[in-house]
Formats: sequence, C-alpha cells, structure tokens
Amino acid sequence: MTPLPLVRMKDIRKQFGPTAVLTDACLDIFPGEVHILAGENGAGKSTLIKILAGVYQDWEGEVEYFGNARRLRSTEEARRIGVSVIHQELSLVPGMTLAENLFLGRNRTRFGLVRRREQRQAALGWLAKVGLAADPDSPVDHLPLAAQQLLEIAKALLGDARVIVMDEPTSALSASDVNRLFGLIDQLKKEGRGIVYITHKMEEIERLADRITVLRDGAWIGTKMAAELPVRELIRWMVGREVNQVTTREHVPVGEERLRLERFSVRGRGGQEIIRNVSLTVSKGEIVGLAGLQGSGVTELLEGLFGSFGDATSGKIWVNKQLVNIRSTRNAMRNRLALVTADRKSKGLNLEGSIIHNVIIAALPSLSPWGWRRRSTEREATDRQVRALRLKAPSLHSAAWQLSGGNQQKVVLARWLLTTPHVLLLDEPTRGVDVGAKEEIYRLIQQWTQEGMAILLNSTDLPELLALSDRILVLHRGEVTASLQRAEANPEKILAAAMGRLGTQ
Amino acid sequence: MRKLEVGMIAVLMMLSGCGGASTVKTGEKSKTHWKVGMSQCNLGEPWRVQMNSDIRTAAAAFPDMEVIFKDAQNDTLKQRSHIEEFVSAKVDLLLVSPNEAQPLTEPVAKAHAAGIPVIVLDRALMGEQFTTFIGADNRKIGQAAGQWIVSKTGGKGDVVELKGLMTSIPAQDRDAGFREAIRGAGLTIVFEADMKWLEAQARKEMESALARFPKIDVVYAHNDPGAHGAYLASKAAGREKQMLFVSIDALPQEGQSYVRDGIVNATFLYPTGGKEAIYTARQILQGQSVPRKITLQSRVFTKENVDRGGDPIELK
Amino acid sequence: MTAILKKPAFLASAEARAVLALFLVFLLGLIFNGDGAFLQAGTHRDALRQASVTGILACGMTVVILAGGIDLAAGSILAFSAISFSIFAIWWAWLPFLAIVAAIGCGLACGVVSGSLTSGLRIQPFIATLAMMVFARGLAKSISGGVKVSTSLPNADGTYHSIQLPAIFRQIDSRFAGDNISVVTLIFLMCAALCWVLLSRHRFGQYVYAVGGNEEAARLSGVPVGMTKIAAYAISGAMAAIAGICQAAQEQQGDPEAGSGYELTAIAMVVIGGTSLTGGRGGVGLTLLGTVIIGYLEKILSINAVPEANRLMLTGVIIVLAVLTQRRGGRGA
Repeated sequence: MTPLPLVRMKDIRKQFGPTAVLTDACLDIFPGEVHILAGENGAGKSTLIKILAGVYQDWEGEVEYFGNARRLRSTEEARRIGVSVIHQELSLVPGMTLAENLFLGRNRTRFGLVRRREQRQAALGWLAKVGLAADPDSPVDHLPLAAQQLLEIAKALLGDARVIVMDEPTSALSASDVNRLFGLIDQLKKEGRGIVYITHKMEEIERLADRITVLRDGAWIGTKMAAELPVRELIRWMVGREVNQVTTREHVPVGEERLRLERFSVRGRGGQEIIRNVSLTVSKGEIVGLAGLQGSGVTELLEGLFGSFGDATSGKIWVNKQLVNIRSTRNAMRNRLALVTADRKSKGLNLEGSIIHNVIIAALPSLSPWGWRRRSTEREATDRQVRALRLKAPSLHSAAWQLSGGNQQKVVLARWLLTTPHVLLLDEPTRGVDVGAKEEIYRLIQQWTQEGMAILLNSTDLPELLALSDRILVLHRGEVTASLQRAEANPEKILAAAMGRLGTQ
Repeated sequence: MRKLEVGMIAVLMMLSGCGGASTVKTGEKSKTHWKVGMSQCNLGEPWRVQMNSDIRTAAAAFPDMEVIFKDAQNDTLKQRSHIEEFVSAKVDLLLVSPNEAQPLTEPVAKAHAAGIPVIVLDRALMGEQFTTFIGADNRKIGQAAGQWIVSKTGGKGDVVELKGLMTSIPAQDRDAGFREAIRGAGLTIVFEADMKWLEAQARKEMESALARFPKIDVVYAHNDPGAHGAYLASKAAGREKQMLFVSIDALPQEGQSYVRDGIVNATFLYPTGGKEAIYTARQILQGQSVPRKITLQSRVFTKENVDRGGDPIELK
Repeated sequence: MTAILKKPAFLASAEARAVLALFLVFLLGLIFNGDGAFLQAGTHRDALRQASVTGILACGMTVVILAGGIDLAAGSILAFSAISFSIFAIWWAWLPFLAIVAAIGCGLACGVVSGSLTSGLRIQPFIATLAMMVFARGLAKSISGGVKVSTSLPNADGTYHSIQLPAIFRQIDSRFAGDNISVVTLIFLMCAALCWVLLSRHRFGQYVYAVGGNEEAARLSGVPVGMTKIAAYAISGAMAAIAGICQAAQEQQGDPEAGSGYELTAIAMVVIGGTSLTGGRGGVGLTLLGTVIIGYLEKILSINAVPEANRLMLTGVIIVLAVLTQRRGGRGA
C-alpha cells in the first residue's frame, strides 16, 4: 500500500497581473522522500513553493496538507502545521544569538518572560541533532553560511516540520559542507519527513533524488521516479518545446578582435570568487552569448568587466588589442564599453527623470563642453536615438516611470548607443519586455553588429540566446563549462553544461 | 552600518560632553588654599558668560582662591553629576547657578549636608538646605523699567512689548512687574509678541508692529538684543527717533554699549552677582556669618550716567 | 482614494500646486490683514526680507536634497560663517570683499567635510551632517570665545568701548528701488538663480538628479557619484555662509547662537515647494515658492500678533496641508 502523501498540490494556477506564471502545476510530497523540483529559470518553481508555504493567497487550484484541503493565510500558519521553507536568503535575525533565533516566535516563557536557560539547554540538543557544534549564546552574524543553513534546518525541525523545502541550499556551500548537508537530508528522510529540493545542479539531482517533478513555463510536465528518468530525458522535459526560431541571425563577417579576457576573476563582497578564470574573445560584428542558471555569475562577469566591482577583479583585459586596466565604470566607458544592466529599475533608470535626462546622462561629458549643457544638442541627440529605436513616448520630457517596459529598455539602450561603444554588454536585454518590442530589440542587435559593434549577450531565454549568438559560452558556478559554436549549440547541451556537466564541448 | 551609527553617536556625545571643566589658577598656593566649585547651568546666554567672567575677575584678586568652572549645557542631569563630582572632589565651597529648582534641590542638599557651604546664584532652589541665595528680583526690575517709562512719557503713549521666552520665569516676572508699574497710567500695550530672547525674532516682530501701528511711543524689550533688533527695524522704517527703547540686562558689551551709542534710551541691570558671590564665599570660608538671602540691587543706565557706571534705582 | 484626491488637470505640475498654495496663503493675509498692515508695501518687503536668510539656506538644501541627502548642519554653518565674517570685518577690519570671500570659504569647507563624510566614509547623511551641526556650532563658539562678535570691545578694566561698524554691514542691510526691495532679498534671488543655473544649465545638475533618483544607476552610467555629492554639500555650505553674512549684517554682529533650527525651516521650505525628500525630483524654482509661502505665513501670524502657542500649532497644520496639496496623484501617491 502506498502511503498517503503529506502534501498534494493539484492544478495550481497563479497570475501576476495579466501574466500567468503558473498554469496547472502539480506536486505531491510523500513521507520519507527527497522530491526534486526542476525547471529552467522562470518555470514557476519559486511561485509554487511560495503558494505551498502560504506566502500567496490569491491562487486557484487545490492543496491538501496531511489529508485536509485548506488554504493557508500566512507563512506562520504553514509553519504551525508543519511546512517549513528554507529560502536562499536566510531568514535569521542578525544580532540575535543562535538560541534566540532558534526559538524566535515560539519562545518558552513563564508569565510572558523568556526562560533563557531552558531555551539554551534545549538549543544544545537541536544543534547537536543537525550536527552544528556552536555556542547557542553566540550571535548568528559570526556563523559561516553553512552553519547558518544548518541552523535554519534546526529551526524547521524544532517546529516539527514534516515537510521541509530547500531552495538551492548549496549555492554558497563548500564541498565538505555540502556533504554534511546531504548526510542530514538522508537522516531526515529516514525519520519519514518529506523533502522538496530545488536545484540547478545535475550532480545533486543524481545524488539525492527519489522522485523528480519538472515544471516548464508554469505548467506541470511530469513526475517520475529518479531511477526511471535518465538525464537526457530530464533535460528534454526541462527544455521541452522544439526551439521555435525567434529570429534569424543574418551573417555578419567577423572582423578584428574587440575584446579579449584572460583568466578574468571577480570576487564578491565576502571575498569568495564569483567568477573564476574566465577567458573569452569577442570580435567586431560578433555576438557571443553567455548562458548560465541562477547563481552562475554571468551578471557579475558583465558588471565586473564594466568596472562595477572596482578592485575586486583580476586577470587581463584587452580592448581593441590594447591591454587596459578597468577599475571603475568611468574607466570602462573611456575604453568604449557599455553595459545594459539586467535590472532596469534598480540599476538602469532614474525613474523620476525625463527621457532626455536618462538618455544623455552617460554621454553628458561629450555633450556639454566646459560643463555647460546645450539643450538643443541634447534634444537632437535624444530625438535621433528615439527615432532609431522607435521608442514610443508622449514627449521627450515624459518621466521614465510613465513608459512601458519595452520603451524603458529602449531608453537604456539609447543611452549607451549615444556613447558609441565598441563593445556592448547586454544583460537580459529583453526581460520584462513585450513580444513586439522584443522583436525590435533583436533587429536592433543585429543591426549594431553590422555596424561593427561587438556584443556580449547574457540571456536566460534559451531560444533567444540560440537565435542571436554566433558562439555561446556556458557558465556554471563562475566557471566556463562549455564553449559551443552556433551550429553545434542546442538547449540540451547548454542546460547540461549549465548544470555542471562537463565534457559536452 | 548600525555599528557606525553607534560610534557616531558616541563621538557626538563626547563632543557635546567635553569642554566641561576649566580651571583658573590664581597665584601661588598658600597654606590656606581654597578650592571653589562653580556649576553653571549653561553658557549659551551672554549673561551667564558674563557671570562666569565676573566670578573669574573677582577671584583673581585673591591668590588663595581657586575656582573650577563646569558648564552643564542646559542639561539638569549633567548639572546634577557636576555637583556630585564637586562633592567627591572635596571642594571647600560650592557655587551653583541651577538649571531647574526641583531636580537640583536634593543634590545640593546632600552637598550641604556633607559640610560644604553652598551659595545658590540667580535661580532659587526649594527648601533650606543651602547656605545663602544671591540673586536679583526680575519683577522689581520690570517694575523699575515701567516706572521709568511712566515718568519719561508722562504716563501716556502706545507701547510695544517684546517678551522673552514666556515659558521662562524671568520673562514672566519682567512682564508682570512692568504691567504692575504702568497700571493706572495712560500707557497702552498695543502690540506684544514672544521674541524668545532672540534679536532676529525681535526684529521681525517689530517690523509687524511698525506696519500695523503708525504711532509707537515706547518699545520695552525683555533683553538687550530684543531692543537692538527693534531699533534696527524702526531705523529701517525711519521711525527710530519717534520712540523710546528700554531694555533689561544691561550687559557691558550689549545694553551699556547700546546706551552709549544712542540706540537704547535706558537699560536696567540684571546683575550677575558674580562679584558678590566671591565676596560672600570669602566671608563664609573665613567663618563669618552671612544672611540667608542677598537680593542684588539693579542699576539704570542712560546716556547721561553710563560713563560713570549707572545709578542705583529706587522703587516708588 | 484616488477618486477623492483626484487633482484637476491644471494642477498637474508641482509648480502649479505651489502657486496655488501661495495664492491661498495670500488670501489668508487679505482676510486677516492686521488692520490693513498687510496692504502696505513695506509689509511685503519685510516678509520677503525675513524669509531671505532661511531662503538662501533652502536653496543650498534643495541641491543636497535633490542629490538624495539632507544637510542638518546648515544652521550651524550659518552661525560659524556669521562669526567668521564678523571677526574678519569688525575685529580685523579686512576689506569687505575679502571678508565675504573668506567667510564663504569657511562655509564651503564645512560642506566639503560633510560631503566627504557621506560619500567617502559612507556615513549616512543624517548622521554625518548631525555631527557637522554640532561641530560647526562648537567652532562658532570657540572662535568667538562664546560671546557675540560686535563693535563693543572690552577694555583692560572690564568696561567696554565701541568702534565704528564697517559700512558693509549697513550696505547689506539696506534697500533700493525706492526703498521697496531689501538688498538681502536680492542676494537671496541671486543665490536662487545661481542654484537654478547650476541645476538646469550645467552638467552638474543632471548628475545631481541622477544621483538622487537612482544612485546605483548613476554610478553604472559613469556619473561621478562621490564628487557630485561632495559638490552638493559644498554648495549648501557656501549658501549657509552667504546666509550667515546676511544674518550678521542684519544683527550688526556675529552671534554664535544664530540660525539654530533654521535648517528645519529650510527643509520645510524645500518640501512645501514640492521637492521630494527622497531625492531626484523637484527644483530650486519650487523652493523659491516654498520660501515665499513660509515667509508670508510667518508675516501674517506676526502682524496679527497671534500668541506663540497658537502660531506653532497653526504652522504645523499649515505645513501638513501644504504638503498634502503638493502630493501628486500619480505613481505610488
């Protein structure tokens, strides 16, 4: 007899405004199993988990927890009935001790006063259970990330969670910490708890999976026992659709080298290497695609190259065959680099500013000799770009926040075109952009290469990346795992390499 | 970031806390060397700067006296700890110009009980637990100003009263005394405003009064800067010759100078008592008995008498 | 919510709303005219003169706020510069031009320090300028010896003698155009014009708006974020110094206690004009309107001899009303 599932989610639908992010998603969690939830970026995994944990309330479908259909009203309620989610961004309170964090929200009290000694004693037991040897009275700030993760698990266990969801828990862990975590997962499994595990790493799927559910474009694709789902098939499930040609790449003769990187590395705030020894070249008229799943470091590669990380980069950079030293964004701009950031709202636009303001800001030094602005020159330059990009706006003085996503993106593109870059770094240039505008941006990218620009393109939209790129480099945890020519590239190869499967080149 | 903030606040507290004690060493140490502690409630007002300077000047004449000054910067609790510090430093006598009566009564009483003679300056304390109080009477000074104005105007005319911060006792007394004195005479207060002891504010209010009233005969300001600001406003309107300007405090560099320069017609001294405090302190230290309360006499300064140091006032 | 607060089309711009608020305040003055005092030309001249000193502070404050900061030190820098100017001009009898330039230099230097603390050492503007506020006040008291710097100087025996007030003091505190405009008001207008030119006609202004609107985006667009912030605080410091010189000229002395709390009035002027406290939106033209609104408000309360307690309460209510009229119907509001 098959045991009853702990949780059963059926036909879950969820919309954000007009866009559906989940259509008919399903997920069953049985006691004593590790259930891998797989899918590309944007497949709807996080949304599904957030519904499971009571973060969202406005969804359609049916969820049964431990045999009873119910709709949770809060994450607190989820925790109370035994569903715990360990998010990528940990939810520990800095400044509080291990014990305080552990008992946060379920303090042992007498007459409203916290019984600290009792908590401390109890904390020792729970920490031992997850194999964390640390003083319960030390603040969590000083704990290494791996230990913080274990503490989160202890917190879940303390609440007697029967379902524990882990969202890419190993993204910041070292190999030995990962092993420790896996040991703990095995133990939790033996205790009959259900584990949902989200990961982009093939080796983890192979090591942990009992069953696998794949989501794609918000829909349930299938669920199978891990043993019955070979890697090839898993990847096909994730990629799914035959890649419908989004656009055609016209042949552009490749000219001389514009950009060369050798053993380029980027260190993050904590000193860890986000990008390790990446070497690449981009030539005049060429589009080199960069592929990578969440946490692969592609964005950091582009921002590091553009000087945003300051001194935290190493390696050699040649622009137009000149060895250059890029330590700031101004350095990068002086070397004719331009970066269109992935996050328009937080890193791209001044939403309060007018179109003119946003377009001219990067090219301002050349537009305003001696510092004095020439408003007619600015207006003409903006107008020229607006026309070339077919940017639609009521007036050049409209504020950026009044524009649609596609037109906002065109504002950012116009800004960088005005600086006449030789190397254009595009990070997710079509994210949050409607279909029509996407097509236009594809056309523009092609046109720029014909004019001699070299483009480094990051896109998590695989069909888009395949259609535009002349070559594709795939990154996994900050390292290049594959370099594919246009002719040999396909979604399966890219995804396999992005999940850490080497040897696909 | 949070650590940084805590650090910054600590630095700020140090900044505002320093500048506390400064010592005046007077001459050689003799066998009878007296250490006197002076706790001033704040040095933001020029009048209190003057008081400290009067004490310093008076003490300089006696080489056997050393005065240690502390400034509480308007903080009652800070002044309380200053008093306690003086007690533990075993000063021979304590001068206190208290910030507030109620909260400082007890620390002063403790010092007194510990055998340290205490002279309270300017603002009174509650109870009897100190040696003597030296201060002037704002109400009487306000009255004197009122009587002077009545006698100069013949008891007729329109008055603008520019008041000090009306939540403070001195301003209330200077207002009440003045009103008592002009009651019954033909003077009318046509415009009154709280200028909070501030010159800029006084000037603003005076401008409003000038705009409203074509005839103003007297300006009575609760302090010297108030009268100065009112004078500048009237001068800008070309009307400064039509009115009398009367102020209180008569600080040497303010009121007395204004009288000398013909800006203010009369200013009434609100004595700091600094000199008297030192003399009384010597009497106490030498074992003589002193009265429990010493009321300081005010003086009036006008163009005629300013160079010979003003005249004592007599209340009618 | 939006239906109730929906604004008519002619109030679409912040300028139009500020003008409306000014009109309403003016109407208030016509109703409560203090026995006709409000109808005299002199009242208006004085209202504008009184608002000018804080107005000059508000011009500098606008630049800092647009760049996403705040300058709490403005009032203290005013006092420090007023003292410096008085010492240079009265005690040391420098040439007026030299004394003015040196005093402005003092304010500018304070601003550069504030700016460097926020952009270089990454101290929050509120904290950094709070520190500068305390420090500059201390500096003012320390170089003046804690007393007012005036024309009466102490003699050796403790008495005082007066010296001649330098002419520059009276010149700054005079009027022209048939006695109808104060020189101080003219200085305020010139300061506003200078800030306007910098903000809207110079590259620097675009940098200020970019940094205040989205600092990270500005940095990634090659805007010199650090220098822009330092320059903004330096301008605020220089404006505070000019205000300090005007204040000293009007009081005919330098007062180490001058200008305390003025920074808050200046911030109110900026906000009532319609400049956003979060930065990136607004302008010095709006601040000009905000200054006049507050100036007239104070004048109306003063000519009606409204008691202090009621004045404070009324001012609080009116600030809230003015800011509510300024709130725009669009995004997020």
